[in-house]
Amino acid sequence: MKTITLTRAHGLAGVAAMMLGSVAWSGAAFAQGASNASTSTDAASTNAAAATTNAAAANAAGAQANNFRRGGGSGGGGGSSSGGATDPGVRGGDPGAGGPLQGLNDTELSFFAGAKDVFQEVDAVPNGLGPRFNLDSCSGCHSHPAIGGSSPPTNPQVAIATAAGAKNTLPSFITANGPVREARFVRNPDGSPDGSVHGLFVISGRTDAPGCNIKQPNFAAAVASNNVIFRIPTPLYGLGLVENVPDSALQASLAANAQQKRSLGISGHFNINGNDTTIARFGWKAQNKSLLLFSGEAYNVEMGITNDLFQTEREGDANCQFNATPESVIPLQAADLASPSASFQSDIELFSSFMRLTAPPTPASGAAAPVAQAAGAAGQTAAASTQTTGTAGQTTGTASAASTPASTASTMIASATADVSSVMTAAVGSSTAAQPASPSTSGASVTRGNQVFTNIGCQACHTQSFTTTKSQLTGQSNVTIQPFSDFAVHDMGSGLADGVTQGTANGNEFRTAPLWGVGQRIFFLHDGRTKDLNVAIQQHASRGSEANTVINNYNMLSQTDRQSIINFLRSL
Amino acid sequence: MRISLYLGIAACLAGMGVVLHGAILSSGDAGFIQSNPEAVSITDGGFVSEYFDLSYRVPEGWAEGLPGPPPSQSGYYVLGTWAPKGDFAGTIMVAAQDTFFEPDSSDDVKSIVAQFRQVISTVDGMTIDREPSQVSIAGRPGYRVDFSGVGLFRSMFAIEIRCHVVTFNLTTHDAELLARLAGSLDSLIPVRKETSDSVPECVRDYASENVVHRVEPQAVGTRSVSIPVRLIVAADGSVKHVHVIRASAAQARNIEDAVRQWKFKPYAGQGDPVEVETGMVFNLKPASM
Repeated sequence: MKTITLTRAHGLAGVAAMMLGSVAWSGAAFAQGASNASTSTDAASTNAAAATTNAAAANAAGAQANNFRRGGGSGGGGGSSSGGATDPGVRGGDPGAGGPLQGLNDTELSFFAGAKDVFQEVDAVPNGLGPRFNLDSCSGCHSHPAIGGSSPPTNPQVAIATAAGAKNTLPSFITANGPVREARFVRNPDGSPDGSVHGLFVISGRTDAPGCNIKQPNFAAAVASNNVIFRIPTPLYGLGLVENVPDSALQASLAANAQQKRSLGISGHFNINGNDTTIARFGWKAQNKSLLLFSGEAYNVEMGITNDLFQTEREGDANCQFNATPESVIPLQAADLASPSASFQSDIELFSSFMRLTAPPTPASGAAAPVAQAAGAAGQTAAASTQTTGTAGQTTGTASAASTPASTASTMIASATADVSSVMTAAVGSSTAAQPASPSTSGASVTRGNQVFTNIGCQACHTQSFTTTKSQLTGQSNVTIQPFSDFAVHDMGSGLADGVTQGTANGNEFRTAPLWGVGQRIFFLHDGRTKDLNVAIQQHASRGSEANTVINNYNMLSQTDRQSIINFLRSL
Repeated sequence: MRISLYLGIAACLAGMGVVLHGAILSSGDAGFIQSNPEAVSITDGGFVSEYFDLSYRVPEGWAEGLPGPPPSQSGYYVLGTWAPKGDFAGTIMVAAQDTFFEPDSSDDVKSIVAQFRQVISTVDGMTIDREPSQVSIAGRPGYRVDFSGVGLFRSMFAIEIRCHVVTFNLTTHDAELLARLAGSLDSLIPVRKETSDSVPECVRDYASENVVHRVEPQAVGTRSVSIPVRLIVAADGSVKHVHVIRASAAQARNIEDAVRQWKFKPYAGQGDPVEVETGMVFNLKPASM
């Protein structure tokens, strides 16, 4: 609610959060009035066992790689053969993220500033928080390496559990140094599919919620029965550009190089919105059709704030209703924001605008950087993605604004600003703290890493680039972005399966996680089970995963080349 | 006679402790092993596919690897993977693409391998070591292409069987080992004792153009879904076998129940009516729509 002032003094630990990477309902389900994330009994039953196994895996700090041959079975021998490749840890230096898109005009920039302010607002019960919630602001979850990112190093959920007099018990899977998490139950008590988000905390006991006495879900029992899975916040940078990639470009990308993908065991499909049959592309399972839907669901599911899209309180206890609903609506009187037009927007409009206007993360120099579209492409439907061409260094080389004719609408939306060797870190193992530079992460290694990444097939799903179509925003038409994702969902096998069906993504399937900004990420995979990129790579392989062949290729590389891939990823 | 054969095969497979891959099997159909491309028996020593009429023995010292994903909506299957028991020096991955659901179905296996070679050659740091060339695989004409990059040596062999492109994908970090793996494909032999004319002819779009009696499957769930299905139509036009490639069990059941009631014009082929195998995609709408 815009009447709440951003309380900087709370700091990260005190600030709360909102939009975990995925919310409960797909766009299709929402439009059709469905209320359950997991609507396929068969899919849920098929995936339940794998999902529950992975709840335990996610709980184990520093999860180890799966046996890449038999998924942990015996007789085949093996295990990770990638010894020697070390994740240098979170890349230090300037975050290179959290700011507005380059090229916006003054009006758009002020709108961005206003939206970003609201994105950071902290809510309490009088403003709609709860009755069940996971955190009390958007930016609490989406904060690293800058506002709009993913989970911070210190989990603010620990502090919010007992804020304002609340007496919430901290679930075992929420720790001070662990990732921000939302929890979903795989199945209902009667065995039917669940899949929805269950708020970690309740407002009971808070000084601003007198008389409310609801209890937290029994997470200990859910953990004990392997009936809970987790999701961490997805980074929000650059999503307006992702939103503006036409479906035709995504479809062309997935269809491109089909024979190469088949030689790697890869297929994949899009999470198609059931009503308009377009591609949903946001969230861990690409279950959300739009940024607005993403915002509205998260506001309700993560913070418990009803809004124009999700008008109904999920918790019906009459003693815990303190506000008229919907709690957040379009204001009839202007809020006090820098942008006059932003002052008349609802919170969820401003959240989606923040995502739409925020720039992609800036890679280190020597890594792939977003580049200008070639002359003459303005106004045309975007071409298919670039999947197999060029090294990082070459791509960066094309990013020269001076090489782009001024007469085109092309725009360089981010640029490489830092030298790789000055920003890569040297920590052995993954540290959440930015570390000093390491000679092992030289520009040459990063460039080689990009080549190896492409050569062994990572790029078959982690598609390097797309070009946007016409945009309402100044300077954002026909720009080439480098998200390193095909935005399709792929079967990731029993090792990562969460048993939750969302839209047309089943319990084994996840959207290819965009890798831009991964160099500054702390936690990896949908449940944040590891801080180590090498472990995250190995976890791509398990029974039934489309990534098995590529991970086998990775494991057959020389130690130097495995390291170069890690270094390349940390440069993004 | 046939049932005895199938039961014998099933018993044999059970005794070997093998895994029958495939999410949806028509358990009531005694012929599913021969009618279902996913029904591959995998062992550490290799695999047997009645459907593809292939038996393959992997090199000594190799074991079954991680299984691949279930069939895709476009009819892509990973039939099996293998890796050495000791040093992780290479992999074998056998896959199949159902050409009924392939967008560029007009391409023959030679064209497909040529396209593959073209794409691979554009990958940064990749070298084509052997241009696409015709080879014999299990007595069938196929094509081979070799390529390498970043210290990995790879080879793809492709053949067309029953409107599928079946590929053998070999990867090693040792060029000599790649040659030995390629040599292991010499162990590929047919498994069926029956003559080849017992295999249905495969004809794209036969179902949509020749059905004379059709019963629509009941919808399941709240979403529109596209479900690829393979059918074998008997010589008299009745439905002999239904193979739902990717669907929930309930969706598959409804489709099977409906399609088994369908009648087709008998497929004459080049003379007397014969069995025909074809594919179609069901676009199931939600029950409420």
